[in-house]
This record gives sequence, C-alpha cells and structure tokens, in this order.
Amino acid sequence: MNMFIFKRSFLDGITMALLVSVVATLIFKPSDETMLNLPLISSVFGLGIILGGVISYLLNKQGIKTLGQNLFEPDYEKAKSEAKSWFKTFWGWHLFITILVLFVVGIFKTKFSFVELFDEDGFAGAQRLFAGIFSPNWDVLPTAVINIIETIFMAFMATFLAIPFAFLLSFVAAKNIMKGRIASIIYLIIRTILNVTRSVEALVWAIIFSVWVGIGPFAGMLALMIHSIASLTKQYSEMVETVNEGPIEGVQSCGANKLQTIWFAIVPQVVLPYISFTVYRWDINVRMATIIGLVGGGGIGTMLIKYQGQAMWPEVGTIIVVIAAVVWLMDQASAYIREALK
Amino acid sequence: MSDPILKIKNLVKTYPNGVRALKGVSFDVKKGEFLVIIGLSGSGKSTLLRCINRLHDPTSGEVNMLDTKTGKYTDTTHIKSADSIRNLRRRIGMIFQHFNLIPRHTVLSNVLMGKLAYTSTFSSLLGFFSPTHKKQALEYLKLVGISEKAHIRADQLSGGQQQRVAIARALTQNPDILLADEPVASLDPATCHIVMDYLRKVNQELGITIICNLHFLSLVRQYATRVIALKDGELVYEGDPKNIDQEWFERIYGDGAKEVHIN
Repeated sequence: MNMFIFKRSFLDGITMALLVSVVATLIFKPSDETMLNLPLISSVFGLGIILGGVISYLLNKQGIKTLGQNLFEPDYEKAKSEAKSWFKTFWGWHLFITILVLFVVGIFKTKFSFVELFDEDGFAGAQRLFAGIFSPNWDVLPTAVINIIETIFMAFMATFLAIPFAFLLSFVAAKNIMKGRIASIIYLIIRTILNVTRSVEALVWAIIFSVWVGIGPFAGMLALMIHSIASLTKQYSEMVETVNEGPIEGVQSCGANKLQTIWFAIVPQVVLPYISFTVYRWDINVRMATIIGLVGGGGIGTMLIKYQGQAMWPEVGTIIVVIAAVVWLMDQASAYIREALK
Repeated sequence: MSDPILKIKNLVKTYPNGVRALKGVSFDVKKGEFLVIIGLSGSGKSTLLRCINRLHDPTSGEVNMLDTKTGKYTDTTHIKSADSIRNLRRRIGMIFQHFNLIPRHTVLSNVLMGKLAYTSTFSSLLGFFSPTHKKQALEYLKLVGISEKAHIRADQLSGGQQQRVAIARALTQNPDILLADEPVASLDPATCHIVMDYLRKVNQELGITIICNLHFLSLVRQYATRVIALKDGELVYEGDPKNIDQEWFERIYGDGAKEVHIN
C-alpha cells in the first residue's frame, strides 16, 4: 500500500474537516454544552475527514491535484508536473483557503483584542512592573549569581550525562542502519519511545522528578537529561541518516562488518555535527533550566518564582539581568564554537 | 587456458522499485584479464559489479567464483551469513567513481581499511592494526606512488591521488579480483591516464584480474584485454576491443552516437 495515498487522504481530510466544522458552527451555532459533547464533535470532525478523503480521491482521479497530493506525491510524479502560478491550481486555492480559515478561527480562539492591549489600567500596571525591573535591587546579586551557577551546572550535567545514551541510541534510531525485519522493528520501538519522551515537555518531567527525588536541582537535572537524550538522539540519528553513502560502500567493499562500518564510515562523518548539536543543547538546557526552576527544579528559576510571587519587581529585575547576561554569553559562545566546527 | 575466475550465469537484478537493472547476463571472466564493461549510464554496469561483491543482492542467477587454492567454484549468490559475505569481499577489491575514502582519516588509515576483514572488530575499533598489515599498507602506497602522503588527511588530496589511495586500499585486501566502477569518470583527462596506468600495472605485475566499467572507448581500446557491452541490462557485445567499429558503437550507444576521444 502506498504510504503517500494515506498521508494525502489524511491531510486533505483534515483540511476538509476543518471547513466542515467551521461551516457547521456558523450554521447551527451550537451552545457551550453541545461543544462539550466530545462524541458529537469528534464524529462531525471524523465525518469531515472521511468526506475530505473521498473528495480528495475523486479529484486526484480526475487529475486535479489536491494539496495533499502536491505535498506527498512521490518524486517521480513531482517531476512530471509543470510549473503554474499557484492561483491557477486547485492545490494553491486549497492551501490559501485553509490558511485563511485557520487565521480567522485563530483570531476568535486567542480572543485577539487591540482594546485590551491598549487598555489604560493594564498599561499602568505594566509601567509599574517595568519601572521596578529597570531599577534592579543589586543586594540580591550575590544570591542570584550563586543560583545561576547552579542552573549552569544543572544544564551541564544534563547534557553530559545524555551524550553516551544519545550516541548509542542514535544508530539504533537511524533508518539506514536498521535495515532488515528485526532491525526495523527495534527501530520503530526506539523511535516511538523517543517521540513520546520528547513530546512530554521538560517542564512535565521536572514535575515528575520533583515528586520522585524531591524539589531541587537534582530533579531539574534529571528532567533536562531525559529531554536531552530524546532530543539529541533525534538530531544525531538524523545526521546518521543523511551521511554520504560513498564511504559506507567503500569500507563495506573491504569486508567491514556492521560495527566496523559504523565506526569507520559513519562516525567520522557525524562527529563534528554531534559536537555542534551537543554544545547547542547545553545552551538550550541553560535556558530550559531557568524555566524548570519555576516548577521546583532548583537554580535561578526557583529564585525568580519566589520574588515574582511577592511582586518584588526590583529583585526580579536583578535576576532577569543575570539570566539575560548568562544566556547571551552561552548563546554567543556556542555560536562561535559551532561556527569553528563547520 | 586456465579455468575462468568467474562464471556468471543468467544474472538478474530487479530493484524493489521495479527497475530491472540486469535481465539475465551471462559471461566468463578469465583469470588475469583486464575486462572492461561499457554501456550507457543506467545500462546496469554498476549493478553488475555490485552483484559480484554482494554490495547488492542479485535477484536470481549464478556468480560462480573460483577458489584459487582449491580450484573449486562456489556460487556466491547463495551466500547468506554476514561472515561468509565478509570472506567473499576480502577476495574482491573495489574502487569507485567518487573514491569513497573516509575524508577525515589519514591516507594510511584509509589504506588500512583493506585489512578490516582480517582484523578483529575489537582491535580495529580501537585502531590496532598489526605491524605487518601497516607495512603492507605502506608498500601498496609506494606501489601507487604516494607513500610520502601517508600521514596526510585523505580529503587534502587531489582526485587522482585519492583514487590511487583507493587502489592501495583495495590491494591491501590481497584480492584476486579488483572491481573498478567508473574509476576515472570524475577525473581530468591527464589524471585519468595516470590512474588507468596504475590499474594496468596492478593487472600485469600483481596478476590481479580487473573488471572495470568505463565510458570512453579510446580508454577501452588502450587498456582492455577484452570488452563486454551492456544495453538495458542485457549483454550485447563480447570480444576484442579493437573490433568495436562504428556499427557496433551505434548499436551499443544508440543511433547517431558519436565517439568522444580522450587523449
């Protein structure tokens, strides 16, 4: 079965379901209670998907390209298509209408309002806050420095401990290495575990670990480590999947076995990007460690939430300055290092 | 005349996407000959070479390889275990159009790759190659005339030099057969001859059988001892390179094709 037809029908189905839902909402003006009726809502959306899939099938059979077809069709089909302005194509309008509908619904959903943005009372509050932040209380500077050091080390340990796991997992999570029946099953399992791990935010991991090992930097470090393993493995394995096949054929023709092939043909090609990703991950982890502190992960974030809770804006100002300085330094340093590694 | 080193029978390769690269090709390869395969791009030349050393698995047919020690033939298409494939590849060196060296490693460590199949996984991963192997690697580097570059990174070398390193790497395997897939297609005409001359030297001095894909007929006439031509995955010519006249040329490369000379 062609995977692309499934993807195409699904995408076209979802865009159709979106339209159906919006139109249904406009026509029937459902009450809040009806909106909470999940079975009803999901069956309307589900029907929309099926309808869209059917329409997409019929259109494509007629040779009219839908958005899904245009996006997911295999390369040899893409090669056949001729260049046309987007507004002369069905898929162009398909995309345009989808984005337009998304934007309009988005305005309602986010309760977008210029009135509140420029509301006088709110504005005065923001002014007070900024006034406080812009006159920092330097008395808390020493504590802030001690705390940010804790944050930096949380990030460092999380990254450092994630490296060996991610390095090993990256090959198991690379499609071009995991060929064959059993290998591809292992690949799928590992990929799924990683995707699930990665889709749980570091913030949530921090909440879990703060219960497990108690509030503090250790919980924050563990949370970041789990998240780093999943993210680094994904980035690493993507590098493995894009390596030049030439050296692989080269060493294989010499009779290299699997491990030798990985070590001699793949590792030399990926080691620099690996280092680059890792440095960048440390940089990201410092930023994330700050956020994680907000939920009890220790370091500067915990300090920030303490003063913010008491509306002590000058102290918050000092902390923000310290965070900004460190993040900026890390960002610059990692950019220079990554540049040099190219 | 001794027994052929390879007896290929009805070799078929169909790729998973349905492309039929080889549609039943049969020929023998004599021991010690310089066999050149010609044909258009996509005629199945590269696939054929890769089916011999099992970088690709043939769909059907036989590749019978002579064991020079016992004088027996084994059909390599039925080899399954990773170890046996490794042993097969040990006896067949290969060089490629894009050289396929490890760019960040030194020339010497690239040549030592030829000993991977002779070295335990553990010591090879730690970079321990025996002194005899190192000595051999250096000798072959000398043979292709770049021993002074042994400790330079492979990606610092010119194309022609890289291809010579690749030849040294293949020789370090002590192969019976050397496969060459378009070895000069990404080189300039002058360098082209240097590399081809080294291949001839390997063929004549070390007695290694060479099977080489080439594009330029002038090179074929100069270096090949025998030639076969593929067209759309089928064998259309087999014989002496000197007998390829305009008529054969058009039959192989299509009507109206003109020969380009490389001097």
